[in-house]
Amino acid sequence: MSQVGGFIAIEGEFGVTEREKAFPALLERLKPRCEEIIARYEEKRSALVQLMHLFQEHEGFVSPQAMRYASERLGITLADVESTVSFYTLLYRKPVGRYVVQVCRGLACSICGAEDAMRAFRERLGAGTLETTEDGLISYEEVECLAACDRAPCAQVNLEFVYDLDEKKIGEMIAAMRGGRYATAPMVQTEEPQRTWIVEQEGSIAQGRRSKGGLGVPDDPGGIDREGVIMLDRILAKGFAMHGASRERLVREVRDVTELVKEEGVRF
Amino acid sequence: MPVVKVLTDGIGEIDMRSIDAYRKRDGYEQWKRALLHLKPEEVMEYADKSGLRGRGGAGFPTGRKWSFLPKNGKPRYLVCNSDEAEPGTFKDRMLIENVPHLVLEGMLLGTYGIGSHHAFIYVRGEFKEGFRTFTRAVEEARAAGFIGKDVLGSGYDVEVTVHRGAGAYICGEETGLLNSLEGKRGEPRLKPPFPAVEGLYGMPTVVNNVETLAYLVPILSRGWEWFAAVGTERSKGFKVVSVSGHVQRPGNYEVPLGTPVRELLELAGGLRPGRTLKAIQPGGGSSACIFEEHLDIPYDYESLAKAGTMLGSGAMVVFDDTTDFVKAAHNLVRFYAHESCGQCTPCREGGIWLERVLERLLEHRGLRGDLDMLHRVSSTITGTNLCPLGDSIEPFLRSVLLRFPEQFEACLIS
Repeated sequence: MSQVGGFIAIEGEFGVTEREKAFPALLERLKPRCEEIIARYEEKRSALVQLMHLFQEHEGFVSPQAMRYASERLGITLADVESTVSFYTLLYRKPVGRYVVQVCRGLACSICGAEDAMRAFRERLGAGTLETTEDGLISYEEVECLAACDRAPCAQVNLEFVYDLDEKKIGEMIAAMRGGRYATAPMVQTEEPQRTWIVEQEGSIAQGRRSKGGLGVPDDPGGIDREGVIMLDRILAKGFAMHGASRERLVREVRDVTELVKEEGVRF
Repeated sequence: MPVVKVLTDGIGEIDMRSIDAYRKRDGYEQWKRALLHLKPEEVMEYADKSGLRGRGGAGFPTGRKWSFLPKNGKPRYLVCNSDEAEPGTFKDRMLIENVPHLVLEGMLLGTYGIGSHHAFIYVRGEFKEGFRTFTRAVEEARAAGFIGKDVLGSGYDVEVTVHRGAGAYICGEETGLLNSLEGKRGEPRLKPPFPAVEGLYGMPTVVNNVETLAYLVPILSRGWEWFAAVGTERSKGFKVVSVSGHVQRPGNYEVPLGTPVRELLELAGGLRPGRTLKAIQPGGGSSACIFEEHLDIPYDYESLAKAGTMLGSGAMVVFDDTTDFVKAAHNLVRFYAHESCGQCTPCREGGIWLERVLERLLEHRGLRGDLDMLHRVSSTITGTNLCPLGDSIEPFLRSVLLRFPEQFEACLIS
């Protein structure tokens, strides 16, 4: 067992992946470009995020091996590398789909039809925000203002802009991706993506949502408000993005708590 | 109509991305003139006397910002901020994608003006096309001898590095940007020391917005007097205003500062037929709304400040009578909660609290006292953090809460 980039890689049990096997050769190939990037800066650490972009371009995500290389080459700890990488939303620490669809949920887009666009994507993809489709082809995310408010609602696919979205256009986009004829080139995929590429953080309160602290919210004691209203709907609405087993489990848990409240007359 | 074409001249009509196309329009003539005929102090004088203020959001006078650099012999840096992510703003992206050489020439002038030999441009991670276009422009300019050692035989060395962000609104804040440029988490720094004293790598640094630097080119070619003659007493020159939302022709409109808000609205084609105006957010996501009674106020730094809001990044989002302001407030609060870097407790926790209270309102499950709580929590966040992100939550929220209380009250449990 070895500690790699903050992840525990259990070798032997799962074996070494094809990607891991190919990494040393990739590294040798990319080293000259890494050196060229590092040389642009007075201090080499400045190159960190740029190197991670480069590796992500070739591996489809920021792999533990890429982070370890950056740590060694730039002379900073692995913890420092991972802390930095985890700060930025465009550096994916787990594999994503070959197309990353990022729909703008900014205010200007949202008052100009973004909600309909997001609903259309979610329904057609069967994925919520920060999720990848079952076939591993498309990752979907609702993102902050993309600076194309004059062409709302807008989105990016693998960071190339798509403007003036409507149902028809969305349908065509997805069909083209599935048919392998989408205008923007697919991303490299070296590992099978999981349901989400977000690394779980301690204190995470719901899938796809990262808590920044552990404090509660005033007058919101986790599902049952002061008036005794059970917020089943609300919890389920939050679980909208969930699928299959996790959604069923959530429903079951909420029902259990609801029953408990009814039977025991528990007040929170 | 007061629409002008200075930075926006030719955009949408001709392709000005190549160095040849740019040079056909007298491109790099000001860079040549500065290098061969002007002293750095003279370039600084142009910036100062033009009255040019920062076009990124804070509106700080550019010449004064440069003058803060200490004369201590240390290397100094110019950083062009192209991390445009203020909700509703899309002018810098237009500039780097369409007139990269104009922005680059402005950067070179700024770099020379402050006596620096290394400039950086921090391009927002999402701007893949902008990054590509700008990187190509730098390569072309280097090949043409405008960047490098002993540029045009002047004896002056200058290097330009194009740096790509990776997704984080907070990196638009200048100290967050500097940390990010150093390869760290984009967490803002405590000020002072200001970047002018201790910036990139601890050295004196000026961070200027894309639009600010681009205006240096026409200021040098046409004279600071030309620029200073336009606008108002404290808001000189022109501004590219991004107009979006419920208008018929959303887009970037370049106007003299001081143009009435009403005229900007008209330039953008006005409202859709049959609709009425409810509110305008005049200066990006961090600004308070103005309303129908404010339509005749001039779009400039001081008039908007007097009206209790700000010019900010120059992004005008227009809301008509179809707008659900509870949803709008939730949208912006969620944005700030999501983008909080997490360093300061009031911003980190307060943003999430506000978001969740607004979620409750959206589901029509608001509790008695929730509206007071929105006021109380947002005002508590204000002024209690390292950087202005937390302070950005209150203005819009408060302005629409006070203006449209009925929309919020309708979301409470009766």
